[in-house]
Amino acid sequence: MRELVSLENLWKIYPVGPGVPALKGVNLLIAEGEYLAIMGPSGSGKSTLLNLLGCLDRPTRGQYRLGGEDVSDLSDNRLSEVRNRRIGFVFQSFNLIQQLTVVENIEIPLFYSGLSRRHRHPRSREMAELVGLSDRMEHRPGELSGGQQQRVAVARALANDPLILLADEPTGNLDTHTSGEIMALFDELHSRGRTIIMVTHETHVAVHAKRVIHMLDGQIESDADAESLDTNK
Amino acid sequence: MKALHKINDILLLGLHSLGVHKVRSALTALGIFIGVCGVIAMLAINEGAGAEAQRTLRALGSTNIIIESRKPPQDDSKATGRSWGALNYGLTKRDVTRITGGSVPHMRRYVTVHQTKKMAYLAGKNLSISVIATDPTIAEIVRIKVQAGRFITSADMLRRKPHCVITAPLVRSLFGYENPLGKTVRIGGEPFVIVGMLSRLPQALSGEGAEATDSVIIPRTTGIDRFGELTVEVRTGSRTYERVEISRLILQMEDENAVLAAAPIIRSLLERNHDQEDYDVKVPLELIEQKKKQMFLWNVMLVTIASVSLLVGGIGIMNIMLATVVERTREIGVRRALGAKQWDIIAQFLVEAVTLTTVGGVIGIGAGISLPWLIRRYLEFPTETSVWTILLPFLMAVSVGLISGIYPAMRAAKLDPITALRHE
Repeated sequence: MRELVSLENLWKIYPVGPGVPALKGVNLLIAEGEYLAIMGPSGSGKSTLLNLLGCLDRPTRGQYRLGGEDVSDLSDNRLSEVRNRRIGFVFQSFNLIQQLTVVENIEIPLFYSGLSRRHRHPRSREMAELVGLSDRMEHRPGELSGGQQQRVAVARALANDPLILLADEPTGNLDTHTSGEIMALFDELHSRGRTIIMVTHETHVAVHAKRVIHMLDGQIESDADAESLDTNK
Repeated sequence: MKALHKINDILLLGLHSLGVHKVRSALTALGIFIGVCGVIAMLAINEGAGAEAQRTLRALGSTNIIIESRKPPQDDSKATGRSWGALNYGLTKRDVTRITGGSVPHMRRYVTVHQTKKMAYLAGKNLSISVIATDPTIAEIVRIKVQAGRFITSADMLRRKPHCVITAPLVRSLFGYENPLGKTVRIGGEPFVIVGMLSRLPQALSGEGAEATDSVIIPRTTGIDRFGELTVEVRTGSRTYERVEISRLILQMEDENAVLAAAPIIRSLLERNHDQEDYDVKVPLELIEQKKKQMFLWNVMLVTIASVSLLVGGIGIMNIMLATVVERTREIGVRRALGAKQWDIIAQFLVEAVTLTTVGGVIGIGAGISLPWLIRRYLEFPTETSVWTILLPFLMAVSVGLISGIYPAMRAAKLDPITALRHE
């Protein structure tokens, strides 16, 4: 399997007062097609790790290679391009733009990659169909249920066919039933070979992953197969 | 091609978000609308007034220099030009010789005018009129247009014919609606045959007085023959006489440059030979230049005043854009996470600001053109709208949009994506 993500002694120190270290030398390798869950209590550094993996932030020290390219010290412009082409984000609160329709929301990453309107449209419809929203294309987010909104977010994240799908508590705002639907969608995407990294604090969500990482105090405490998870915890 | 698509898309995006807040956008554009409309209307009114004044001055002839005799400002008893119980003042024949005898370069020709008050008598009607004795060339120099009949000719001059050209208002008061041509009228006791009619006296001959209407023009030689060389006027209520040799001397120069060079020479010539200011040198060209300068200053002032309203409009736009940026922080975060570069965000907000001012500006142009039209139509005040008086306010409006949009747009672009995403 090709190696997609490689973190080498990654540090993130926030310049507050004497400097608050949020990540203290994280080493991590993620291969293509992996399905990974990052867990840990609040303040453990899992959000910081996700921001770095998503190229929303740069590490203070260490190296991050994404798809073979060193992205630890890129300019703001280049980072924007990397986010646009190689990373798909799914957020806890969906983060759809309320004034835009479903198709228009899915088109946003295509828009910033410079795809013409003519080419954007069929692609975004295809993505809407993929997540089962072919009958909701012209609706606005406010007219959709939470589960449907998160599906739109997933479709939008996949529009540019990214290397990795990054999900931050993707089921945090959903009820158990809809959570199950979204996780089923994730499982399906994984089965088609999509690399997925998600942050969650819910064990029943994390069990869907094949590999689970526990963060504590800015370091990886454990890195194991999902089977080892105690679902009763 | 790719860039073009993006520009088009960003434009649509900007219009889209303006459409979401229709009332807010309309109110913001209103400020710009008022500013643009104000500038265009004010400039049109000023340009109109200025153009009117210039037309008036041009009617005096821009290549002409007009020297008029003027009663000196001093008190009569202290006047020095007094002799035989009369007040002598104004231009003399010697002045004419001095000025036209070669000291003023590039002079084409000149003409003198003797103007005096006489009584006109016709069929029991007695009227005080102004008699202008001059050469036929005056018609070309001050552009006299004959309404009916003919002007006085050089033949009239040579033979000292008692012919006169009469102004239309005087015809009305003497003849009513009868044809005056060929009729004889007594002027200062002498019979004169009317050979022509003018609608009005040209401005170069009328001066500021009311004699513009009730005047006759007679050959200069006839004037000397019948009334003498001096213009003698009895002042009402006193026993003093006023004696003026030449009422007006009108010079026609070869071109406008010659006018500007000649004016100071004439002034100094007269100054040296007159111990009081009993003359007035009028240079229409100088007055036109003065008027132009004055108009420019007015334009600057008006544009400055109107710019204040554009400035206020600009502040309104900046205010709204700043509010929009705060309101849409989360959206900015999402867009950044999905790959928007800082430039994309700047462009998005700038387009919104510029669209607001452009829309306000275009509507302002419409109103700014129709407002002067209404003023011209109903208040009968001259207005003039030119390309620059429309283009300038519009460009000002668009730059107001750019300038007031740039700061909020930069602020939006500089937001940290992570913080923006967490914004509630």
